[in-house]
Amino acid sequence: MNLDAAFWIALFFSTLRQTTPLLLTALGGMFSERSGVVNIALEGIILFGALTAAVVVERVEHTLGPGPHPWLPWLGVLSAMLVGGLVALVHAVVSIKYRADQIISATAINLLALGAPSLVLTYFYGNATNSKEVVNRLPLWGSEGFALSPLVYLAFLLVPLSWWVLFKTPFGLRLRAVGEHPEAADTLGINVYRMRYIGVVLSGVLAGLAGAYLAIGFLNQFVRGMSAGMGFISLAAMIFGKWHPLGILFSTLLFGFASALAIQLQGTEILPAVLVQAFPYVVTVLVLAGFMGKSRPPAAVGRPYEK
Amino acid sequence: MGVWKDRKRLGILVALGGGVLLLLWYLAPWAVPHRLFGGEGVLLSPFGHHLPQGTLPPGYGDGWLWGVFYPSLAWLAFTLVLAWTPKPARKLFLMGILGLGLFLLTYLLFQASVAQVNAGAERPILRRYSLGLGSYATLAYSLYLLLLARLFSPGGVAFLVRRRGVVVPLFSLLLASLLGGVIVAVMKRAPGEAQTLREAWMLKLDLITYTYQLLYSPLVNPSGFLQSLLLATPLIFTGLAVALGFRGGLFNIGAPGQLILGAIAAMLVGVYLPGPRWLVLPLAILAAGLAGGLWGALPGWLKARFGAHEVINTIMLNYIAASLFLFLISSNEYKFFGNTLYLPFKYPGYEARSYEIRPEARIPHWTELLAPGGELSFALPLALLLGFLGYFLTRKSLGHRVLLGPLAGVVGYLVGGLLPGPAVNFGPDLTSVRLNGAFLLALLALLFFHFYVFRTVGGYELRAMGLAPKAAEYGGVLAGRKMVLIMFLAGALAGLAATHYVLGGGIDEYRLKQSLPYSVGFDGIAVALMGQNTPLGVGLAAWLFGILLTGGLQVNLQLGISRELVAVLQALIVLFIAAGGFLPRYFTDPLRAAEVELREESRKREEREETP
Repeated sequence: MNLDAAFWIALFFSTLRQTTPLLLTALGGMFSERSGVVNIALEGIILFGALTAAVVVERVEHTLGPGPHPWLPWLGVLSAMLVGGLVALVHAVVSIKYRADQIISATAINLLALGAPSLVLTYFYGNATNSKEVVNRLPLWGSEGFALSPLVYLAFLLVPLSWWVLFKTPFGLRLRAVGEHPEAADTLGINVYRMRYIGVVLSGVLAGLAGAYLAIGFLNQFVRGMSAGMGFISLAAMIFGKWHPLGILFSTLLFGFASALAIQLQGTEILPAVLVQAFPYVVTVLVLAGFMGKSRPPAAVGRPYEK
Repeated sequence: MGVWKDRKRLGILVALGGGVLLLLWYLAPWAVPHRLFGGEGVLLSPFGHHLPQGTLPPGYGDGWLWGVFYPSLAWLAFTLVLAWTPKPARKLFLMGILGLGLFLLTYLLFQASVAQVNAGAERPILRRYSLGLGSYATLAYSLYLLLLARLFSPGGVAFLVRRRGVVVPLFSLLLASLLGGVIVAVMKRAPGEAQTLREAWMLKLDLITYTYQLLYSPLVNPSGFLQSLLLATPLIFTGLAVALGFRGGLFNIGAPGQLILGAIAAMLVGVYLPGPRWLVLPLAILAAGLAGGLWGALPGWLKARFGAHEVINTIMLNYIAASLFLFLISSNEYKFFGNTLYLPFKYPGYEARSYEIRPEARIPHWTELLAPGGELSFALPLALLLGFLGYFLTRKSLGHRVLLGPLAGVVGYLVGGLLPGPAVNFGPDLTSVRLNGAFLLALLALLFFHFYVFRTVGGYELRAMGLAPKAAEYGGVLAGRKMVLIMFLAGALAGLAATHYVLGGGIDEYRLKQSLPYSVGFDGIAVALMGQNTPLGVGLAAWLFGILLTGGLQVNLQLGISRELVAVLQALIVLFIAAGGFLPRYFTDPLRAAEVELREESRKREEREETP
């Protein structure tokens, strides 16, 4: 088996595709944690987003006929973002208003994301594991052979954008203040609760977007458990990226590369596929162990705020 | 709480409850004397029946319904009025008791009405009969009255607040069940044709009631009961694995991975280690615990040494364990850089599974334990009974009790073994349930948890770590080492769950199979929270979920609703418990709880002084 240019090009594009959902989710997680709320529910929210996108597109196709509807995948994306935001809102209400342990409340949502899709799928399709395939997937932008989903471009554009929002706008300053020292921020007249709600809901919207990318960009249906730990990997990437957009870009690229390598090696005789699949997870553990020393989380993260 | 003494508030609460009761009486069926397989029932209500075949079942009389309906109306009117009279709490308490009696009367009359038709018939004519939501609402309202009566008498709030460890999980279960009912109503079209709006409501409410009846049906049917214990077995282990972490301030989401490693180790010892039973079986069980423990200790060490958060690490290790698991049993030939690696573990054939566990390393089936050779043996039940009594009822020092418990158990075993037992035949329904000795191991694990966490210095340090890590460290706990130990023990508990599946043949074979349901590790989170991290609570919560999971199968079979309904209920329960059941702050915050208790105590004392 020789590794020729085609292999490396395929690996490069595969890396970009694999990075996209991680990057979107990790940026979301960054907004949430910068505001002081840990959101490990992102894993489940990706699933809810993917389910929404796949089911909405399929249902519309079911009523209007399959014929190409260029607007339809975007409707799927929007509804996935909406549902992602709503699910995140549940986490926000329980952990901000009712001061629940943020990890437990988020775990509840992850558990919900294991069970609820099956109920919805059984309701619509009579099976518990996957939705019907859709025709109207997200388009591919770019020249023949090198085309990528628009969400890929969007994800990478979001990096400078969220850097600007976080570090150059009053909103970003407030968000960071609330995550670092909510008491001080409150004294200055910043509404701590509102900023936290915004941070968490924003993370849900972005994770929903990542889910939509998986369901109607990467594949053409919802498959049970399709997020496969991406939400958790994104959080590890966010920690590794030191809660900073640029750091997150590089760390998600690393994880994306690990996943892409795993995919490219499948079916070859270099390494067995079952072991290669574990590659990104091993990298996550190593990264968390090896490089944690110097990264510092927002000071008030995980702590409910009480006026 | 001054407001709770307010009579007006009591009156409004009673009126609200009464209103809901009246609405349910009107909208829901009171009794279902017969139900078709698809779920449509003959629905009886004093406001008009729903009859699928146009008439009541032949020979069935609905006269009893009126005998219940009018007294019920009078009772309801009484409760509403009495709430506004002076000293209402005691009167409402009596009315609550009366309501319970009313429900009992309803139940008896209904059973008699059905028995009268079924009597003498070869096969029961009326099947799947039960009371309806309307009658259950009477029961619920009675309990509600009793609760209100307690709440509005002196010290009532403190009474509930002191029991918040039970109140919060139960209230969360109630909320989750209500929401689950709404989900069922939305997801599933009710069977049967409705002529009026009220009839449509009746059908929907009956569908929800029937779903929950099926979910809890294992409580009243012997094979379902055993099945619920079977499903509870791994949940006890994983629930304890999560609970131990919580007690020590660590969140162990790694139970699935630890279970997988335990299963692999149990398989390796059970298949490949030759030797006699007394050696191999304990070694296989030990191996499962050890492997799970080491897999759990890894994230503990990573946290202690590098500060890496255990939540993400345990989750990652779950995926890695799953890969390792598939690697070992899904194929025997792997290519590494052109070289071929041969493994011996996979059993030939299409399915991914290991070789069979040797008979010496198998955990016996429950029939072998309870009735070896077809004759009922009292050895084990007596040993368990005396063992528990010996430990919990002796008023001696801990050391004595630790000695006395097992000693009493051994005596019980010997004496029980001598008693002659009658020959029994359990029938295929019961013997096909693969409940096995791992259930006893689970009970032992509960005992271990109780003993270690609440009765030893190590357990004291563990709880100190969970409540106040800084203070514990200052008090001399070696935090890093303790963390690794906690995660090791938690992992070992999760690893032991594998004994049920692999050594006890808990699924369908004595093998390690790809169908190993390692996600019960996640269910352990719900079990631990529901059980409030206490051994008794974890045992009961695991059993509750065992019942629901067993009943979920019936729901799927008879109503076509996905079994995942139970998973959704579990998730909702976790969410609601996390939010403290949306109850007032003094139920969730220990400091405020103490405040309420003190205040109520002093008020009680004042009142006692006023009325000599």
